[in-house]
Order: sequence, then structure tokens, then C-alpha cells
Amino acid sequence: MTMDSTRQFKENILLYGVDLYQWPEEIRRAGIEALQKSSELQALLAEYEQFERVLKTRKYEEPSDHLAHRIVSLSLCQDKKSPFSLGWFLSRLFSDELYLPKPALIVFSILTIMALLTGFFIGFSNPSGQVLTGQRQTNLQEFLYYEGDVL
Amino acid sequence: MDISFQHLDDESLIRQIQEGRHEAFEELVDRHSKRFYSTAYRLLFNKNDAEDIVQQGFMKLWERRLFWNQYKGAKFTTWFYRVVVNLCLDHNRKKKPMPLCENMELADEQDGQEILLDEKRKQALMDRFIKELPERQQLALTLCFYEGLSNQEAAEIIGIKLKALQSLIMRAKTTLKEKLNHHF
Repeated sequence: MTMDSTRQFKENILLYGVDLYQWPEEIRRAGIEALQKSSELQALLAEYEQFERVLKTRKYEEPSDHLAHRIVSLSLCQDKKSPFSLGWFLSRLFSDELYLPKPALIVFSILTIMALLTGFFIGFSNPSGQVLTGQRQTNLQEFLYYEGDVL
Repeated sequence: MDISFQHLDDESLIRQIQEGRHEAFEELVDRHSKRFYSTAYRLLFNKNDAEDIVQQGFMKLWERRLFWNQYKGAKFTTWFYRVVVNLCLDHNRKKKPMPLCENMELADEQDGQEILLDEKRKQALMDRFIKELPERQQLALTLCFYEGLSNQEAAEIIGIKLKALQSLIMRAKTTLKEKLNHHF
């Protein structure tokens, strides 16, 4: 048994467990065959079987018998308490459907700020009072030769 | 129309729930509450907290049933595992870390000595070792080893690639094995 295949066998035990019949099909047969031939792998498997047994002794408490009933009853109460309303619908819409994950929200905020800054920059660099000469003449001509009703 | 909800798969039940059939919700809760409780318990180490989290998850599902849109074709259980896991992680982050009990400290101080640990102390030690694992390693171990999910499904739930998940499992088990060998 080479060092490499022992290492691979150990990795597979860690990933898929000590029951070789639960391993993915493509590695199962090779694993079983290797195990039958090697006492080193058999010892390794025994060591990890012991390890998994210890892991499985971890404390576990069963849920209360009435857990499902409690959830169902609470959902019924909820229905009675909160009938459908526009406010409820909008709050749910914004909290769930239009929800943006944090990174997307940050990017969106930065883009909005940049757009606002660009707008301000353009506005300040070309304020409404600063009109080009040609434009001023046109405006003057429009004013002088306006043929509409005089208010 | 009389529908036998027991024969419907989870995704069909969700569609019935969206139509407002409370019996379909009851069936879904009956079918899965224990499974999700188990995951929550493994992550929270506390029965009451785990029950509260499962209840919170199902209540969100009921309250927001109209907005559930099969989340890009994901299986209900995969999606709901994500809900429960996220609720558990939020809960753990908000909760202050519990100080270690004296017995546990003693076990560390008597490093290398043969100590006869009773069952409860062994379990407490194991809980402590698992709690000491990084969050993602705990998750990977819980989903794959304790809940028996496939590596692929666990990777989808945590939102990482398969290789990354496998690396988490290996690191978690290797660390635990070293610590358990040292103490047991």
C-alpha cells in the first residue's frame, strides 16, 4: 500500500464516512478492494470507526412532542391578528422581494452618490447665469423680434 | 376538492400554501419540523433555542408565503435549511459566549493524566470542542456528519463550492480527532 493511496483512503473516510457502502459509486469498489488487501487500511478504518462512534455519543435532546402543533397554532393566530393590508404588502415587498444583499446595496449607494456628485459638478461648472455669447444674441433677437402677444 | 396533502411533494405543498391552504402548511410542518430542529439543536446546543428557531423559520414561511418563488428552482429543504442555518448563526452571534464550566477547565489542566470522564463530562467536552471549531467547519460537520446530507447539498446550503466544503469537513474532523484522542 503506497503512502498516496493510504492518504487518499483516509481523506475518503473523512469525507464520506466509515461505511464504504455509502461512498460515491465511482470510488466505492476501489475502496472496498483496497481495504480487503491491506491490513494498514483495515487498522485505519477501525481507528476512524471508533472516532465516529465517539462523535455520535454527542448529547442530543428530542424536541417537545407539541413542537409542530405549537407552530401550526401560532400560524393560525397570526392569520387572525394581521389581515392583509397595503402597508403589510409594501413592507413585505421591500423586505423580501426587493431585498438587496449587502454588497449590492453598497455598490448601489456608491453609484448613486457618484451620479449625484457628477450632477453637482456639471451644474456648478456651468451655472445657468453663464451663457455663451451666441446664445445670448439669439435670446436677444428672440426678445426683440418676438411677434407673439405682448403681455 | 379534497386533496390528500400527504402524497404531495414539498414544492407542491408550497404552491398549496400560497393559495392559502393551511392544511398544506400543517403537513409541511409535520413532515420537517423534527429534521430542522435537529440541525438547529446541533448548532445552538440548546433545546429551547432550537425549537424557537424552527418556529421562527416556519412562521416566516407562512407569513411570507406569497413571496416564495421557488428561489431559482432550489429544493424546498435546501432553501429552508439555509433559512434555519442563517437564523441559528444570527442567534449565536447575538448571544454572549458562555463561560467554560470548572470541570472542563480541570480536564485541560490535568493534561496527559488518565481521567475517568463520566458520560456527561464527555458530552460537555465534545460540545466544547465542536463550539471551538470555526463557524463554517461546525456547519459542514453538522450538515454532513450529523444530518447525513450529501457533500453537494451541504455546499449548496452553506453557499460554497464542493471542494471548499470538503476541505471544511476534513479540517473539522481532523481537529476534533486530535482533541478527542488527547482527552478521551
